[in-house]
Amino acid sequence: MQPRWRVPASQQLLFEDLDDGIVLFDAQVGGTHLVNPTAAEALEVILESPGLTAAQIHRRVLDRLGLTDQALPLAALDELLHKLAELWLIASDA
Amino acid sequence: MKLADRGSHDVRAALAATGLVLRIPPVRVRVRSPIAGFAARLADLYGEYELHDTRDYADIDIRMLPGARLRRWVRPTVQFVVDGVTPFEPFRLDHAMPMFEWGLNWVFAHRMHQFLLLHSAVVERDGRALLLPAWPGSGKSTLAASLACAGWRYLSDEFGVVAASGMVHPFARPAALKNESIAVIERMRPGGVGPVYPATRKGAVAHFRVPPASLARAADPAPIAAVVFPDFIAGAPLTVQPMTPAVAFLKLAHNAFNYEVVGERGFRAVAGIVRSAPCRIVRYGDLAAAHGAIADIVAGAA
Repeated sequence: MQPRWRVPASQQLLFEDLDDGIVLFDAQVGGTHLVNPTAAEALEVILESPGLTAAQIHRRVLDRLGLTDQALPLAALDELLHKLAELWLIASDA
Repeated sequence: MKLADRGSHDVRAALAATGLVLRIPPVRVRVRSPIAGFAARLADLYGEYELHDTRDYADIDIRMLPGARLRRWVRPTVQFVVDGVTPFEPFRLDHAMPMFEWGLNWVFAHRMHQFLLLHSAVVERDGRALLLPAWPGSGKSTLAASLACAGWRYLSDEFGVVAASGMVHPFARPAALKNESIAVIERMRPGGVGPVYPATRKGAVAHFRVPPASLARAADPAPIAAVVFPDFIAGAPLTVQPMTPAVAFLKLAHNAFNYEVVGERGFRAVAGIVRSAPCRIVRYGDLAAAHGAIADIVAGAA
């Protein structure tokens, strides 16, 4: 069964889009991360639609950023989701 | 009434009894101490500060007390007590003033969470404030004091006190100068530096007296026009390096006392600063060269 991703209920993520990157505030611990547009879009998708699989998130991120599968393979997006999970920004129900 | 308007005997008696309440915007600080030497040093550095009625509310209540009884005769010490709590190990008695200054910084950083507190010196000219954020040892206090000697308004050598409005507020207290910086600033403003305390935990320390013109505007905030991360290296040629907003964001947030505590307000405030103000790293080995670069940066931000 594919993991389904969501932002933990106790978490609050805030974004500021600056000229050279996007800064993300993890309000649960007060931490700040500099993230790329792919990570920011993936988080936005998960915030808007909790419970999606990696494949579903991948499709929506490609649409939002106007990218192809070659530019952002599903495996890369899946790896990104696991990195975000290691930072406790998202969690899966698997 | 200013502290200097009270006679030295009166100041000493008041400190030993109900204390004196100093107005150091944005806070009021009640100070009590039976130590005669500390009373004289406090009057020396804070003589031009306004006093409140001792019955008025004070945000911070500090007592500078002699150390444990047995040690009073062998190696006398002083304790810093805030609201009945003793957060630090005692200092030697003749270092009571540096301990008061460091202790007040500590209390301010731990309590004033209505503001985002950047670890930064702040000066202002022509209505435009300049943040000089840096960790200890990078020369921010010396640079701020030297700019004050050159006519800039001095707001702080330690705290960028940023309100929700985005304005930076003064917390104009004596700047702690260390080692070689003491003579440098004394030459720029003879009489502008207080007594030297040798062999403190940070080396020789002396305090830069806040210029009267800056003290007269100690409650006036200013908009942030530019951010300069100072990097003093003896003998280094002047270099000015631009910083992109996201990099400046992380560096500013990392240089804050309470960024994690104030949460979203701090996050939005830092974003507002790096969006609106140019951010630079200025490496220098000569104060005059740094002054010129800083004047250009702030003028370019107009």
